[in-house]
Amino acid sequence: MPKSIPVKPEAFRAPGVLSFPDVPLHAYQRTLAEERKALGDAALKNVLRHMMILREFETMLGAIKARGSYQDIAYAYKGPAHLSMGQEAAAVGAALALAPEDHIFGSHRSHGEFLAKGLSAISRLGAAELRSIMESHQDGRLLRTVAAHVPVSPVLGLAENFLLFGLLAEIFMKANGFNGGMGGSMHAFFPPFGAYPNNAIVGASAGIATGAGLRKKLAGSRSIAVAMSGDGSTGCGPVYEAMNFASMAQYRTLWTEGRRGGLPVLFFFNNNFYAMGGQTIGETMGWDRLSRIGAGMNADAMHAETVDGTNPLAVADAVRRKRALLLEGRGPALLDVECYRLGGHSTTDANVYRTKEEQAAWEALDPIATFAARLVTEGIMAQHEVDAMKAGVEAGIAAVLKAVANPDAAPAVDIAGDPVLIGRLMFSHAEIPVPSGETRLLAAPETSARIRQDAKKSRSGLGPSGERLSAMRAITYRDGLFEAILHHLIHDERLIAYGEECREWGGAFGVYRGLSDIIPYERLFNAPISEAAIVATAVGHALEGGRSLVELMYGDFLGRAGDEVFNQMAKWQSMSAGSLKVPVVLRCSVGSKYGAQHSQDWTALVAHIPGLKVLYPATPFDAKGLMASALSSEDPVVFFESQRLYDTVETFHPEGVPQDYYRIPMGEPDIKRTGRDVTVLTIGPSLYPALAAAQELEQSSGLSLEVIDARSLVPFNYDPVIASVEKTGHLLLVTEASERGSFAMTLASNLTRFAFGHLKSAPRVLGSPNWIVPGADMETTYFPQADDIIQIVTSDMHPVRHSNRRGIRNWAERLMARNAL
Amino acid sequence: MATKVVMPQLGNEIEEAQIDSWAKAPGETVTKGEMLLTITTPKLTMEIEAPASGTLREILAPADEIAAVGAVLAIIDEA
Repeated sequence: MPKSIPVKPEAFRAPGVLSFPDVPLHAYQRTLAEERKALGDAALKNVLRHMMILREFETMLGAIKARGSYQDIAYAYKGPAHLSMGQEAAAVGAALALAPEDHIFGSHRSHGEFLAKGLSAISRLGAAELRSIMESHQDGRLLRTVAAHVPVSPVLGLAENFLLFGLLAEIFMKANGFNGGMGGSMHAFFPPFGAYPNNAIVGASAGIATGAGLRKKLAGSRSIAVAMSGDGSTGCGPVYEAMNFASMAQYRTLWTEGRRGGLPVLFFFNNNFYAMGGQTIGETMGWDRLSRIGAGMNADAMHAETVDGTNPLAVADAVRRKRALLLEGRGPALLDVECYRLGGHSTTDANVYRTKEEQAAWEALDPIATFAARLVTEGIMAQHEVDAMKAGVEAGIAAVLKAVANPDAAPAVDIAGDPVLIGRLMFSHAEIPVPSGETRLLAAPETSARIRQDAKKSRSGLGPSGERLSAMRAITYRDGLFEAILHHLIHDERLIAYGEECREWGGAFGVYRGLSDIIPYERLFNAPISEAAIVATAVGHALEGGRSLVELMYGDFLGRAGDEVFNQMAKWQSMSAGSLKVPVVLRCSVGSKYGAQHSQDWTALVAHIPGLKVLYPATPFDAKGLMASALSSEDPVVFFESQRLYDTVETFHPEGVPQDYYRIPMGEPDIKRTGRDVTVLTIGPSLYPALAAAQELEQSSGLSLEVIDARSLVPFNYDPVIASVEKTGHLLLVTEASERGSFAMTLASNLTRFAFGHLKSAPRVLGSPNWIVPGADMETTYFPQADDIIQIVTSDMHPVRHSNRRGIRNWAERLMARNAL
Repeated sequence: MATKVVMPQLGNEIEEAQIDSWAKAPGETVTKGEMLLTITTPKLTMEIEAPASGTLREILAPADEIAAVGAVLAIIDEA
C-alpha cells in the first residue's frame, strides 16, 4: 500500500517564510499571596521543607565525601556524589506539579529529583496506599528496619525516613538499598513513588522517558513521563533523536482514532549553565537560550519555555501547564529551567572555571534562603519556625545517616557469602505464558495475501523425492520469523513493533511483509532513522509494562545505538536487583554482498556485554522457535538474523516447520549432524559450509564430522559440546565474525578449559580475517568455506587421511598472525 | 501485433514469483501503463503494468501460480 499522505510539489514550491511560535522567557508573574490562596500554607511550608531535605541530604553526602563524617557520624564512602545544591527549586517545583503516577527519569545528578518526587508522592498518597507500598517492598524488611533504627520526628515522618534511608543505603550500595545495592548514587530509583531510573549516561533518560510516554499513551494512562537532564545533554545526539521521536507527526496523522495525539513526555532541562569543563551558553552550544531548540523540533516549538529555576513556584506553574497540555495529547513539551549548581560538578571538581563574582551573584538567589525569606515576609512562617524546621531536617538526616552507617541496619551486599549473587541478577530467565489474548486488528489474518500465500507452501523444504524446494514453494527462515512474530502481535496487546521500514515496506528483508494489513498503526510503525531512539524507547516502553520488538535493519548499525544497547537495554534488570524487567527483542540482520559497513557479524560485541541474551538461528525451524522464545522472554534479547538465510527452507526436520506455535529454549546448541571424528561447532550461517564439508569428507575420506549449531550465544549450555568432544577428541569452531575477539574464540577458550583432558589436538577457530568485508565477488575469499574446513580437518586433526583440498585461507600461520588475527 | 507480458527480473537472486491477482480478464481492454497484475516474491509484493495498449488475449499464468523470471504470463493484442 502506498502512503496515504501524498507529497505534492505545489504544496512545497510556493514562496513564503517560516515563522515560529514565541518562546516565553521567565513569564511567571504570580505573587506569593496568589499562590498562597491557590495552594494553602501547608503546601508552601512543605515546599520549603522538601527543599531543605534535599539540601541537607546532599550537604551530608558532600561532607562524607570530603571529610568522612557528618555531625560526628563517620562513614567511608568511595563512590560518586554528583550534587545538585542550588537546584532544589527545580526538583521540588517540578515534583509539586506531578502526580504519583507521573514518572521521572533522571540523570547522574538526580538525588534531589529522586527525593523531591518521593516526598511529593508521600504527601499525595493516602496513608493506606503508602503503607502498602512500604510493606510490599522487600517484603516489609526495609520498613521494619527503618522503623527500628530511625526515630520519627515532627519534621520527618516514617515514610520520609523510609525514602531517605532507602536512597542513602542505595547510594552506599548496601544490600537493603532501594535497588539492592546494585544501582548506587547515579542509578537510584523507586518506581512506586514514580521515581524511575536515574541514569549515569548524560541525556540517556530522554529516549527512555520517550518510550515510557509511548507506553503510557498506548495503555491509556492519564499520566506523563518526564526526562530530566542537564543543559549539557543538548549536545548529545540521542537527546535530539528522542525529542524528534516524541514529536513524530504520525501520532496525529496516522494513528488510530482514540490513540491519536502527541506523546505525554516532558523534556525537563536543569540548565545550570555548565557541562563538565564547557560553558553551554557562549562556548560549547550554538543556542543562546536552551528553549530555542524546541523551535527546531516541531511547529509547536515543543511548547518550549525558559523558566526561573530558583523559584519552586515558577517551576511548578510551568510543569503544571505543560502537564495539562500533555494530557490533552498536545505533547511533547520542553522546559528550560535555569538554575545554578552552587558546588562543583563532582566532589573532585576544583571549581576553577567560575568567577567568585558569578558564584556570589547566584548564591544571593539561593532558592531555599530566598523562598524562606518570602514565606516570612508574607507572614506564612515566622523566622523561628524556619530555623526549627532546618534544625529538625538536620537532625533527621543525621539520624538516617547514623542508621545507614550501622551495618546491623544496613548490611553490605554479601558477595563473600554468595559469590554468584550478582550473576544471578543478570537475567530472570522468566517467560510469559503463550499469548492467547485478543487484540484489535485491521483485518482478519487469513485475509492477508502473505498468509494465504504461506498457507499454500510446503512446511518442509524437501519435496517428495528429496529435492530442495524453492523459497516460493516452502516455508523459509523469513516465514518462520514472521509466524512467531505474528502470533505474539495478534495475541499480546502489550507488544509493539517498529523500525525504519516496518510497515508498508514490510521490513527491509520482507519478514514483516503483510503485517501492515493486519496490525494497527500504533502497534506496528515506521520509526525515524534514529537507532539510538529506537532502542532507548524500546527500553522505556518495556520498563513501563510494555513489550518491545525493534529492529536495526543491519547489525552494522549497532554503533548508532551503542549506549542504548550496551548500557540501557543490558543493565536495568541487574541494576534494579531484578525488580525491573526489560522485555525487549532487538532484531539485527547480518548482511552480505554490501561490503565493509553492511556485512559484519557483531555478535561478539553484544555477547561481551553483561545483561544481554544473544541468539543467532540458522534454520527456519530454529528461527521460528527461538523468535517465539525471545518474544516470550522477560530478559532483553539481541536476535541476529542472516540475510543469506532468509530464503533458506527447512531441511533438518522431516515434517518441516510446525504450523503451530512452539518455543525452543534459549541456550541449547543443537546437533545438526552426528559424527565421531571431529566436533564442528558453528555460529549462524557457518552451519552450511560445515555441513557441506561433512558430506564431502564422509564420501571422500570416510571421516565423520559432528556438526553442532550454537543457535544461542548467551546463554550457552556447554554440556552437549563437551560430550561431543569427549567422543571425537577434536574441536573446530566456525564463525563468519572476524576471528579476533570473536565469540567463537570465547567458546574455544572455555571448551579447552572444560574438556582439556579429552582433546587430542588444539581446538581451532575458523572465522573471517580481521580486515574489512570485501565486495560481493570476493566474499568467498573472506567468509569460511567448506574447503577451509576440510583443510583444517585433514591437515591438523586427521593428517593420516590427508586430502589435497586447499581452502583459500591457506596462508602461512605467521603471515596470518601478522595481518589478520 | 501481439505483445508478451513477461515475469520481470526482480533482483539478481529472485528466480521465480507468485501471481497474486490479475486486474483484467481475457477480452478486456488494457492501456499501456495501467496496473495489470500483482506478483509476490519472498521479499515483496509488486504491481506490474501493461506493457502495451490493446486487448488482453490470454492469461498463461493464473493467480496463485508460481512462474519463473522471463516466463510469459499473458499476451496482449495491440490495438
